Amino acid sequence: MSKSVLLCDDEVYILRAAEIKFRHAGYDVRTANDGEQAWAALQEAKPDALVTDCQMPRLDGLGLLQRIREHPATADLPVLMLTGKGFELSREELAARWNVREVLSKPFSPRELVERVEEIVKSAKPRAVGGEIPPTQSGGFSNC
Amino acid sequence: MYYLTTIILAVTLAPAAGLAWLALGRQKRRAQATRHYLAALAQATPRELWPDEQGTWCPPPSAGDPWLKVLAEVHTAFRQRARTIQDLEQARAAGEIRAGRALAEAEHVRGILAGLPQPILLVDGYGEPALANHSAEELFPADPGHPEAGPLARLARCQKLVELLLGATRHSGAGRSEEIEIPDGEGKARCYRVDIARLAAGAVAVLQDIADRKTLQKRHAEFVSNVSHEMKTPLSGIKAYVELLRDGDAEDEAAREEFLAVIDGQADRMQRLVENLLNLARIEAGVVRVSKQPLSLNAVLEEALGVVRPSAQAKTIDLRGELSPLYLGVLADHDLLLQAAINLLSNAVKYTPAGGRVALRSRLEAGQVRFEVEDTGVGLSPEDCGRVFEKFYRVQKSRDMAGGTGLGLPLAKHIVEDVHGGRLGLESTLGQGSTFHVTLPAAGQMS
Repeated sequence: MSKSVLLCDDEVYILRAAEIKFRHAGYDVRTANDGEQAWAALQEAKPDALVTDCQMPRLDGLGLLQRIREHPATADLPVLMLTGKGFELSREELAARWNVREVLSKPFSPRELVERVEEIVKSAKPRAVGGEIPPTQSGGFSNC
Repeated sequence: MYYLTTIILAVTLAPAAGLAWLALGRQKRRAQATRHYLAALAQATPRELWPDEQGTWCPPPSAGDPWLKVLAEVHTAFRQRARTIQDLEQARAAGEIRAGRALAEAEHVRGILAGLPQPILLVDGYGEPALANHSAEELFPADPGHPEAGPLARLARCQKLVELLLGATRHSGAGRSEEIEIPDGEGKARCYRVDIARLAAGAVAVLQDIADRKTLQKRHAEFVSNVSHEMKTPLSGIKAYVELLRDGDAEDEAAREEFLAVIDGQADRMQRLVENLLNLARIEAGVVRVSKQPLSLNAVLEEALGVVRPSAQAKTIDLRGELSPLYLGVLADHDLLLQAAINLLSNAVKYTPAGGRVALRSRLEAGQVRFEVEDTGVGLSPEDCGRVFEKFYRVQKSRDMAGGTGLGLPLAKHIVEDVHGGRLGLESTLGQGSTFHVTLPAAGQMS
C-alpha cells in the first residue's frame, strides 16, 4: 500500500518541486493552493501526512489546522508545516497547541522534507477510522 | 528826696533792666532756634538724617545752649533710627526685587509648562496634585458626570501613574522611567513613557506619547519579517530546484529546462524585491540617480505587462493591456517608471482572487498622459485608501491573502510624484476592486 501526502502551498513552483520529490520517493501526492482547497481534498481522502505552508490566501495554515484538529476524522492527522515566517511563529506553540509534528523553514531542502515526512509517517499511530468530514465555515487566523 | 530816690533807683536799675531785656531776647532767639531745629529734625527724612557721606546733618544749636546735650542725644537717636529705617528699606527693596524676579521666573516656567506638548503633572509632598499643564488637563479631562472630582480622582484612571507619583514622594533615589498605558477619551489604551523625578517636596511626572513610535516599531518588525518572508520565498524555489537538478530528479531535458526556468524566474523575483528596497531607500535619502529621457509610455507599460504576466497566468487572472493607439511621450527615467508600473500591476494581481481581471489602460487626457490599473480584487476600505501609500503599511485583509513588504505602493508613489512630478491616486470599493491611476506631464506627443 503506497504512502500518501497532501501538499498545500500558494506558490505553485514550491508545490511542484515537493511533488516531484515525493513521487520519486513512491508517494501518492495530491496538491492544494490554499487552505480551502486542502480542506476539500481532506474531505475526499485522508492522507498519511499533510505538508502545509502558513501564509496563504482564503484560508491560512493555522485556520486549516484549526479545522483539522477540531474534526474527529482528521484530529490525528500528522502535519508538517513549511513556512517562510520567522520569529512570529513559535515551534513550541505549534507543537503544543496544534500538534504540528515538524516545522521546516523556507528555504528548504525537498530531500530533507521527504525524509522528515517519512519519519512522521513511520512513527504515526495506526489510522483512526473516521467518519465523513463535513465542510466547515470556521475562519482562519490572521497572524499566519 | 523822693525824686532823688527815684533818680537813684532809675539809674541803678536801668542797666539791670536793660541787661535783663537783652538776656530775655537772647533766650527767646535760642528757644526759637531750638524749635526750628527740632521741627527740622522731626521733618527730616532718614536719608537726610543719614546721608551717604559721613558728617553732621545740620549744625547743632549754638555752643552755649543749655539744651545742647539733650539735643545732641535726640539728634543721635534720630540718626540711629534713620539708619535702621534705611537698612530696612534697602532690605525691603532687595526683597521686592527678589520676589519680582521669582515671580517672573515662575511665570516663565508656567508659560513653558503650559506650552509644552508633553503632559506634566506635579504633586506636593502629600501626594496631592499641585500643577497640571494644559496637555495634562487634556489627557485627564474632568468627568462630565462628576465635575466636582478633583485632579487626583481624574488621575485615578491611570492607577499606575498615581502609584509612580506617590512612590516618588515617599522614596528618595534617582528618577524612574516607565512605559504605561492611559485610556484615551474613547477608553482605548494609548502608550506613554513617563519620567518621574522626585522634588524637594513632591514629585513631577513628564509624559511622552509614544504610541506613534510603538506603531512604527511594530511596523518595522513586521517589515523585517515580511522582507525576510519575501526573500525566503524565491530563495526556496532556487534552492529546491538546484537540489532537484543535483539529485537527478529531472527526468528529461524538458524537465531540466523547466527547473532552470523556475530558478531563473525566482532569481528575477528576488532581484525586483531588492531593487524595490534599494530604490525606496535611495529616493528617501535623496541619492537616487535619475536619468530622464523621452520615452514611449506604452512601450514601458508593455514591458511591465510582460514581467507581471506569468504571475497573472499562474492565478488564472485575465491580465489585459488596453493601451492607447497614440504615441504617449513622457520624459521619464525608464527603469524607475517601469518599476512603478510593475509595482502597481503586481499589487493588482496579488490582491485579485483567482479568475479575476486586471486591466492596464493608457490615454492622453487634458494635455497629460494617464495610465491606470483596474482590478476586480478585494478592494480597500476608505481608511485603507488613505494609508496604502504609507511605508510598511499593509491592509489587514491583504496580510491574509498574500505576502508583501508594504513597499511597492509607497515606492510607486515616490517614483511618480517626487521623481516625475506626476500624480498617483486611487479609487476603490471594498469587495469590488480598485483603480490606481497615474498622470504624468506629457512630452513630445505624436499622433
